[in-house]
Amino acid sequence: MDNSRPSVIDDKRLRFDSFGGSSTEIFEKKERLPAMGWNSWNAFGSGNNEELTEAMVAKIKELGLDKLGYKYIVLDDGCYKPERVNGRLQADEVKFPSGFRALADHVHSQGLKFGMYNDIGTKLCSGAEVGIYGYEKVDCEDYINWDIDFIKVDNCYYMWDNATFAEPSNAKFSYAPNIKSITVDGRNLSAVKDGTLTGTRAEVKDNYVTFLGTYDGTAPDHTPVGVRSSELHFEIDSDRDKEAELKVAYATGEEEGVGRWLQVAVGDRIFFDDMLPVTPDSETFSDSQIIKIDLKAGSNTVRIMNHRRQENTLHSYCEIKKELINAGGDKDIVFSICEWGKTQPQDWGHKVGDSWRILNDITFQVGADGNNGNAAWESDYTTSITSQYNKCVIMDEFASPLKGWNDPDMLVIGMDRLNFEMNKSHMAMWCMMNSPLMLGMDLRRVDKGDDIYKIIANEDLIALDQDPLGVQAKRIYTTYECDAPDKTYIRDNDRIDVLAKPLADGSIAIGFFNLSTEDKAEPVSVTKDRIIDAIGSKMTDAGKFKAATVYHIKDLISKEEKDCDAGCFGIVSLGLCDCKVIKVTPLR
Amino acid sequence: MRTDDFIRELCKATGEEYQDVYIRGRRAGWLEAEDELYPNRDISRKNVARILHMYLLKVRMVPDLPDISRASALKDLYDCRICANHVAQVYLRGLMDAKNLMKEGEFLWFDLDGVDEDAVVLSQIAEMKDVSCKAI
Repeated sequence: MDNSRPSVIDDKRLRFDSFGGSSTEIFEKKERLPAMGWNSWNAFGSGNNEELTEAMVAKIKELGLDKLGYKYIVLDDGCYKPERVNGRLQADEVKFPSGFRALADHVHSQGLKFGMYNDIGTKLCSGAEVGIYGYEKVDCEDYINWDIDFIKVDNCYYMWDNATFAEPSNAKFSYAPNIKSITVDGRNLSAVKDGTLTGTRAEVKDNYVTFLGTYDGTAPDHTPVGVRSSELHFEIDSDRDKEAELKVAYATGEEEGVGRWLQVAVGDRIFFDDMLPVTPDSETFSDSQIIKIDLKAGSNTVRIMNHRRQENTLHSYCEIKKELINAGGDKDIVFSICEWGKTQPQDWGHKVGDSWRILNDITFQVGADGNNGNAAWESDYTTSITSQYNKCVIMDEFASPLKGWNDPDMLVIGMDRLNFEMNKSHMAMWCMMNSPLMLGMDLRRVDKGDDIYKIIANEDLIALDQDPLGVQAKRIYTTYECDAPDKTYIRDNDRIDVLAKPLADGSIAIGFFNLSTEDKAEPVSVTKDRIIDAIGSKMTDAGKFKAATVYHIKDLISKEEKDCDAGCFGIVSLGLCDCKVIKVTPLR
Repeated sequence: MRTDDFIRELCKATGEEYQDVYIRGRRAGWLEAEDELYPNRDISRKNVARILHMYLLKVRMVPDLPDISRASALKDLYDCRICANHVAQVYLRGLMDAKNLMKEGEFLWFDLDGVDEDAVVLSQIAEMKDVSCKAI
C-alpha cells in the first residue's frame, strides 16, 4: 500500500459526478429504518468495560427497552488494546477480559445485537494505534468472527484529509492549488476573466481563484444544503474532435483552501487526477506539465477542480464495506459512518452507509462510571442538542430507508445540565427527524416509570422514528423570518419551529419546538394547505387529508386525544425548550 | 518526562503505591492501556491532562466542573474530541496553563501534543493535590 498518496480511483461510482444517481450504487443496499440501541461513548467514554456493558444489557432487558426497538449494543472507542498483536486487533484485556466474541455471544443470548467501532485512519480517536487503514481485510475477518451486527467507523488520524488529529498539511489532498490561468493549445485563458466558478466554495482573490474544493462540515458554520464545493469552468470551442494540450498556471499550499491535488476533466471524462509539484508559495505561480485532453467538435467544458475530499473518504469507507462483505457474505451489518459531516456525507453516504454523522460530537463531556457527564441545550459549537438539530432539520431530502439517515449523534438524555423539557424535546426532535436512536447514558440510573424512562420509552414518539414510510420531517414553518423554512440554516434559537412528517397510515405528525431558553406566549399554527404544499407529495393520501372535515388529534407526549373540525393545527404558547407533538388523522 | 516517570511522581505526591499501579489504575479507570504499553514515551500535555483529570474523578472523587464553556477560549480545544473534557477540567481548575500565541490580543493554545519541562509537570501534579482548595 502506497502511504504517500491516496489510492487511484478507477471506479466511476466513487466519483463526485456519480454521487446523485441511484443507478450508480456500489453495493446492494437494504432498506432500513434508523438503528436503535445503546452506545458506550456518552455514558462511559474510554472507560467502558465488559462489566458495564453487561450491566447495560441487563438493564435494557429489565426495562423492556429491547421490546421498544433498542437492540444494538455498541462498543465505542477505548475497547481495544492500543496496538496490534501479530497484526490483529485485540480486546483490552483489563476492560474486556473475556474478549469480544464472548461478549457478542452474551449480547446475542439476550436477543440483542452487537456492534463495534473502528476508524478509517491509522489510529482511533483515543490514540490507540489500531486504525483500520491498511488492515481492512484482517480486521473485517475479525469483526465477522466476533459476530458483529453493527459497525461505527470514525475519521481521526485520516491520511488523506486534515481531519481530527491528522496532519493539517493533509489539506493538500483536499484542495486544488490556486489557479491563475490555463493554456489550451497555446491559447491562454484567465481564471478570473475567462473562467466561471460553480458551486459555493471557491472565490476570486486578486488575479487568481482559490478554495477549489469542498467545505469542511465538521463545525456548525455552513449549511449542508446545496452544492458544497466548487469547480472552475472554461468553455472551449473546437472545430473538430481532437487531442489538445492543456497547461495550468498554479500555486500550491498545504492548508484549508489551497492544496496540491488537481483534477482536470472535460465534460464527465477525467484526464488528470494527481498531485502537482510544489511551488515556492501559494502566490508564486508555475506552469504544470502538459496535460493531454480530448476535445469534441463544438463546445467543451473544461473543469478544473478537486473533489478528492469526498472521493477519498468514500473510497476508504467502501474498502471496509467491501471487506465486510468478502468476509461475511450477506451477514446483515449496519454501517454507521462517523466522519462528522466533514466531507458532506449527505452527498455520498447513501453509497456505503446506513447513516452518517452530520457534525462533530454532541458533547465532549462524556460520563464515566459514577459520573453522568454533561450536555447542553445550546452552544456556539456542535456540542449541544440545538446545534445538531439546527443542521439536521434542513437535511430531510438526503434521507430515506434506502439511502440512509442523517445522524445528529447519540442521545444525551440522562446527562447532567439537561432538564425534563430539554430531554423531552431532544427525544421528540430525533424521532421527528428519523435519527438513529442510540441511548448514551448509564441505564442503571433509570427506573421503569421515572421521567427518563417515560421519555426514552415513549412508544408514540418511537413510532414516528420507526414509521415504515420512512420520511424525515420537514420544517414547514418557523417564527424566524425566512423565505424557505425547509432549506434555511438558522442558528438563532430565539424561535419556534413547526415540523411535519407524513406517516404510513395516512396520518401526519406535527411537532412544535420552542428552541428558545425563554417561554413563548405567541400562538403558532399551520393550516392543512400549508402542510400539503410542503409534504403532500410524500403523503400516502394527501387528497383524503385535504378533503377531511374532521381530524383525530393525539398529543404524543401528554396522550390527550380529541377530534377537531378545523383545518388548522397549532399551539397558544410553549415553555422554554419545550415541545408539543401531535398525530393528526383524517377521520371523515 | 517519560510517562512512567510521571506516574511515579504522581504516586510519590499522592501516596499512591507504585507497585501494580498500572493494573490498579486501569481497573479504576484513571490509567489507560497506552500508559502501560508506552511507559518510555514523553508524556504529552493532553495525556497529563487526562491522567490528572481522571485521578481527580476516580480516586479523589472530585466531581467535574459542569460548565466548561469558558475553556472554549482554547483554540485547539475542539481539535481533541476525546480529551476536550480532560483539558477543559484541568485548565479551568488552573492545573495547566495555555499559551497566548499573540503579542497583542488573545489566541490561547493548549498545545495538546506539546511536552512540558519536568519542573512544570511536577508543579501540575502538586496543583492537582491541592485542587479542592482551588478557587474556580
